[in-house]
Amino acid sequence: MASEWIVLFAVLAPVAFGLLTLWLPRGWIEPRMVLATAGPAIAFAMLLNTAIDNRSALQAQHDYAEAQASHNDHAHGDEHDNSHAAEDASGHHGHADSPADHHSESVHADADAPAPPTTGVLPWMPSLNINIAFLTDGLGLFFGLLVSGIGTLIMLYARGYFGRAGPTSADDLYRFYPTLGFFTTAMLGVVLADYTLLTLLFWEMTSISSFLLIGWDRYDKKAVKLAMQAFFTTGLGGMGLFGGVLVFGNATGYWRWSEMLTHSDELTAQLQHVGEHPQLLWAFVLMFIGAGTKSAQFPFHYWLPGAMAAPTPVSAFLHSATMVKAGVFLVGRLFPVFAALELFPLVIIPLGAVTMLYGGVVALQQHDLKRIFAFTTVSQLGLLMAMYGVGAIDYHGQPAIDYDVTQIANHALYKAPLFIAAGAIGHVLSRDITQLNGAFYKHPAICGTMMAAALGLAALPGTISFQAKELFLYGVYHGIEAGNVVLWIVLVMTVLTAVCNVAICVRVWTTLLGLPGGMREEHGEPDHGHHHEHAHEHGLLAHLIWLPGALIVSLQFVGGVFPKLAWSRMLGLFEQPATAHNYFASHYGGLPNLTELSIGTPLICSAIAIVLGVIVGLAKPLRGSIGDFADRIYPAMYWLSVTGGGRCFRLIQTGNLKHYLLFVLGALLLGFTWAVQVDLADNDGGMLAALSSDTAGNLFEYWPGILLGLIVCLTAVLIPMTEVRIVRVLFLGACGFAVVGLYLVYQAPDLALTQLMFEIISVILFVIVLRLLPREKLHTIKLGNKAWRLVLSCVVGGVFGWMTLIAASTDRSATNPGKYPLGKTMAQHSYGNKDGLDTAMAGADGPELRGGGGTNVVNVILVDFRGFDTLGEITVLGIAAMGVWSMMPHRRRRDGRTAKPNNTEQPGVTA
Amino acid sequence: MSSSILRTAMGLIFPLTLLFAVYMALKGHNQPGGGFIGGLIAAVALVMVRMSHGRDVMASVMPFHPRLLIAGGLAMAGVTGVVPLLFGHPLLTSRAPYVHLLGEAIHVPTALFFDLGVLMVVVGVAAGMIFRLGGEVDPA
Amino acid sequence: MTMVLAICVAVTFGVSIYLMLGRELKGIAMGVFLLGHAANLSIIAMSGSPILHTHGAEASRAPATLEPISEHLDEQRHPLMTGVNIKQPPVLEHHEPMTDPLATIVDPLPQALILTAIVISFGVMAFLLTLLVVTSRRTHTLAIAELAQEPAPEPDGGPAQA
Repeated sequence: MASEWIVLFAVLAPVAFGLLTLWLPRGWIEPRMVLATAGPAIAFAMLLNTAIDNRSALQAQHDYAEAQASHNDHAHGDEHDNSHAAEDASGHHGHADSPADHHSESVHADADAPAPPTTGVLPWMPSLNINIAFLTDGLGLFFGLLVSGIGTLIMLYARGYFGRAGPTSADDLYRFYPTLGFFTTAMLGVVLADYTLLTLLFWEMTSISSFLLIGWDRYDKKAVKLAMQAFFTTGLGGMGLFGGVLVFGNATGYWRWSEMLTHSDELTAQLQHVGEHPQLLWAFVLMFIGAGTKSAQFPFHYWLPGAMAAPTPVSAFLHSATMVKAGVFLVGRLFPVFAALELFPLVIIPLGAVTMLYGGVVALQQHDLKRIFAFTTVSQLGLLMAMYGVGAIDYHGQPAIDYDVTQIANHALYKAPLFIAAGAIGHVLSRDITQLNGAFYKHPAICGTMMAAALGLAALPGTISFQAKELFLYGVYHGIEAGNVVLWIVLVMTVLTAVCNVAICVRVWTTLLGLPGGMREEHGEPDHGHHHEHAHEHGLLAHLIWLPGALIVSLQFVGGVFPKLAWSRMLGLFEQPATAHNYFASHYGGLPNLTELSIGTPLICSAIAIVLGVIVGLAKPLRGSIGDFADRIYPAMYWLSVTGGGRCFRLIQTGNLKHYLLFVLGALLLGFTWAVQVDLADNDGGMLAALSSDTAGNLFEYWPGILLGLIVCLTAVLIPMTEVRIVRVLFLGACGFAVVGLYLVYQAPDLALTQLMFEIISVILFVIVLRLLPREKLHTIKLGNKAWRLVLSCVVGGVFGWMTLIAASTDRSATNPGKYPLGKTMAQHSYGNKDGLDTAMAGADGPELRGGGGTNVVNVILVDFRGFDTLGEITVLGIAAMGVWSMMPHRRRRDGRTAKPNNTEQPGVTA
Repeated sequence: MSSSILRTAMGLIFPLTLLFAVYMALKGHNQPGGGFIGGLIAAVALVMVRMSHGRDVMASVMPFHPRLLIAGGLAMAGVTGVVPLLFGHPLLTSRAPYVHLLGEAIHVPTALFFDLGVLMVVVGVAAGMIFRLGGEVDPA
Repeated sequence: MTMVLAICVAVTFGVSIYLMLGRELKGIAMGVFLLGHAANLSIIAMSGSPILHTHGAEASRAPATLEPISEHLDEQRHPLMTGVNIKQPPVLEHHEPMTDPLATIVDPLPQALILTAIVISFGVMAFLLTLLVVTSRRTHTLAIAELAQEPAPEPDGGPAQA
C-alpha cells in the first residue's frame, strides 16, 4: 500500500546518512552523531507513517465490507473511494484466489482475507526473480520499527560509549557510524523485502556487517577470530537459506513472500501431504538451517557469546535486539504456511526448548555481564523458536500465534537496556559482576537502568515481559490440554529457564545493591578487566550514556502496567492478520491485565519460577563456572574444514606435476575407452571407415600434406632427443613452421598467417628468456624413469591420435541435422543478403538473414558471431600481460633520463 | 645480430611492416587477415627492431606505456560492443553501412572497429611482453 | 589427409607429454607449447579433409549442391597439391547466400576456434616464460625435485582459543 520508493528510501536512509558522515571533518564528532542518528530516525518515521497508512487502509476496507454487508443498497461514497484506493494500491493480489478461512470465529477473518500489503515493484533483475519490492505487513513493519527505533537510540549511545583510548575512541566513530548504518539498512532490508532472494541478499549483508563489527578491534587477534567464527557460522546458515529459497522457488514458482502468503491455502494443502512434494520439505529444512544459525539455536549458538567481543553498542543492537532475531523473523514469515508441515513443531519445539534451557543454565555460570546477557539472549531466542513451534500445534483448528510480536518486543525492550547498562558500567567500573558489589551507590543511574531491565529479564509482574511469558505458558498449557502430553516437558523446561532468569535478576539486584547474597570477588584473583586502563571521558554525553537504555526499558513498565494500552496502541497493530481468530486476542483483548489472570497452571508456574529463582539466585553452590562445551564446536569444524580438508587435498594436490598429469591422463584414458565403445557401437567400423575413405584417393597426390606431417613428427621427436637448449628451441620453431604448412594444406590462410607470426615472436622470446635462465645441470636419469615416461607418452599420444580420427570421421549431421555443421550456417550468414546488412538489420527479414557483412568467414566469426568470446579473449590477453608486467622485475631507468639506444654498451640479443 | 645492414634496413622495413599490419587488419573482414594477424605482424615488427637495434630502443620506438594500448583497445572493442545496446540491439550487433568517401562507396562494418581494438590489444600485449622479457627500461 | 593429421597429433601429443613428465621446468614449458600444436591440429582435423573426392565413399556422402563445382574445377587447384580437387579457403567469392557453402569451402568454425587458441597460447606462453624467469630468480633452480622441497605456506586464521 505504501509506495515502494518511500520504503526503499527508508531502508536506504541509515547507510546513506552513515556514508554522508564520512564527508564531515574528523573532528566534528557531535555533528557526525546527529547526522548518523538522522538515518534510522528518518527510517523510523517513514515506516511509522507506512504502518499508520496500512492500518487506516485496512480499517477502511473492513468498514467497507461491513457497510456492504448491512446496507447493500446504499452507496457510501467516502468509504467506497477509500477502500478502492486501498485495493488498487495493494497490488493485484486479488482476494478471489484466497478463499475465506474455514475456521470463522470472528467477523473480520472470513469477510475479506486481506492480501498482504505489498508495495509496487521496481524491476531490477526480473529474469533472476530479484526485483525491488517490499512487504509491509505487520511482522515486517514491526521489525522495521524495532530496528530503526533501537538503531536511533544506539547511535546516540555509541557517542557516549566511544570515548576511550584505543579502538573505541571518539575518533573511531567516523568508521563506526557508516558500518552501523550499513547494518541497519541490511536489517531493514531483511525484514521488509518481498522478494525472497532480495531478503537473502540483505541477510548476507547483515552477516558481513556483523563480521565487521565483531572484529571492530582489528588488532585484537582474538576478536578477529571470533568475528570469523560468527561469520563462518551465519554464512553457513546463509547458504542454507539460499538453497531453501531456490528450492522453494523452483518447486512452487513463488519468489515473493507475499505470493507465498497469498497462496497459503494451496501450499498448506501441499504441505499436509508433503510426501508427494519432497522439495517443500527440503526448502523448509534448508531455510530453517539459515534461521537456526542466525538465531543462535543449539548447537550453533556458540557464535553469539563469542560475538560479545564487539563494542557494547553492537552487542546491544545486533546481538540482542535485532540481527539475532532475523532467524526468528524468518520462522515467523514461514509460519503461516509452513506451520501446516507436520515436521514444523517436531523440529522447532525440541530445538528451541533445548536452546532455551541450555542458555539459561550456562548464563548462570558466567561472570562477565555481557556473557551472562549473551547466554540469556540465546535462551530467549530458544523460547521464541519454541513459541512458533507451539503455535503450530493444531489445537485451535488452525495454526495460530498472536503473541509473537509481543514476545519479540519484550525481549528487545529489556535486553538492549541490559547491554547498554552493562557497557556503561564496564566503562566506569568493570564488566565482571563479582567486582560490582555495591556499585549502585556509585553509579545510581546506570545501575538503576540495569536493575530495572533485569526485572524484565526475570519477567516479574509489572513488566510486559510477565504478560508475554504468561502467554507462552498459556500456549504450552493449552497444547497440553488439547492432548499433547509431551508438552509437559516443554512446560517444565520453560519453568526451569524462568528460574535461571529470575536467579540472574536476583544476583544483579543483590550484587549492585551490595546486599548479603550478592556476588563478590571470591577467587582472590580479580579478572583484569580493561577498566584499569582507560581513562573515563567526562562530559554531558558520557554521563547520559544510560539514557537510551532507560528510555527503552521504560516501555517495559508502561506495557506491563497498562497492557491494554500497549496492545491497542503498539503491539496489537502488528500481529498477523491471519491470526485474527486467535485465542488470546479474543479472551484477553491481546494482553491480559494482571487482574484478569485467573489462578491456573500458567500462573502457578510463574509463581514457582519466581520462588525457585530467588532461592537459586541467593544460593552459593550454583555459581560455578561450567564452560560452554559448545565452544569446541567451531574449532572442530574449522579443523575439519581447513586442516582435515587440507590433508585430504594433499592426497590429490601433491604439488608434483607428474601426479597431476597422471590424474589427468588417467581420466583421459577412461574417457577414451568410453568413446571407443560409443564409436564402435554407433558407426560400424568407426575410424576404419575414415581410413578407407581417406586412402581412397591417390596417396601420392597430396604429398605436400604428407611431407609436412613428416616434418612435424620428426622435429617434435627430435626435441626431447637433444640436450642443447637452443637447438631444442629451434626444433620447436621448425615444428611450428611445419604446422603452418599443414594449415595451408587445410586451406586456412588466416591460421597460417597467425601461426607464422606467433612462431616468429615466440621463438625469439624463448631465445631471449633462455639467456636469463640457469643452465640445466645434467641429471643422471634412471633408465626405468625414462622408460615409463616413454610408455606413458606413447600410450597417451596414440590414444589422442585415435580420438582425433574418431572425432574427425564422425558424421554428426546424421544425428543433428539442423545444427550441424555450425560452420555451414555461419558461412551462409557471413555476408548477409545481397544488399549487405542495411536492410537485414532493419529487422524486416527476421534474424535469419542477419549477416556479418564480410566475406572472410573466419574473421566474421571472430568479430561478429563469436564477438563476445573474442572480447573475453582479448581481456584475458590483457590480464596475461598485466601478470607478466607485475611479476617480471624491471630495470630501473638511470637518473630519470629517457633511455636511448646504445649499442656499444648493450649488445642486444647475442644468444 | 646487431649488424649495421639490418639496422639501416629496419629504418625502412619497420614502418612498412606497421603499414602492412594495418592493411591486413583493415582488409580482414573480406580477405584473409584481421585484428589478430595485424597485431601479431606489428608485434613482429617490434621484435625485429629489438633484434636489430638491441636493448633500450623500445622506449624510443614506443614512447608510451603499452598498457595504454591494451586499455585503449579493450575500450574500443567494448564500446563497439556496447553501442548497439543503446539502440536496442543485442550486445555486439554489427552493421555494415556504406560510407561515401572521395566519391567511392566504401563498405565499413562496425565490426572493423572491434577488430582494430583487437589489434591494439594484441600489439600492446606483445609490446609489453617484449619490454619486460627483453629487459627494457619502462617507458614513461 | 585425416590420417596424416591424426599421426601428427599422436606424435606431438606424445612428445609433449614426454616433455611434461620431465624433471625440468624448461622442458615442461616446451611441452605445453607443443601441446598447443597438438590440440590445434586435432581441432582442424574436425573440419574434415579439404580434398574433394569425385569418386569413392566421400562422393556418395556429398550432397547435391546448387553451386556449380565443376565450373570452378580449374581454379580449385591447390598451389601445392596440383593433382587433386580441393575445397577453397573460407572466403566467399560472392555476396549471395549459398545453400550449401561447405560443399565448396572448408568448414570455417574450427579455424576460428584455432585462431582464438593460437592467440591465447601467445599469452599463455609469455606468462609461462615469465614464470620461468621469476622462479629461477627466486629459487635459483628449475628442477622439479628441488622446487618441490620448497616449504608450502601455512594457512592463517585458525579458530579463537577461547
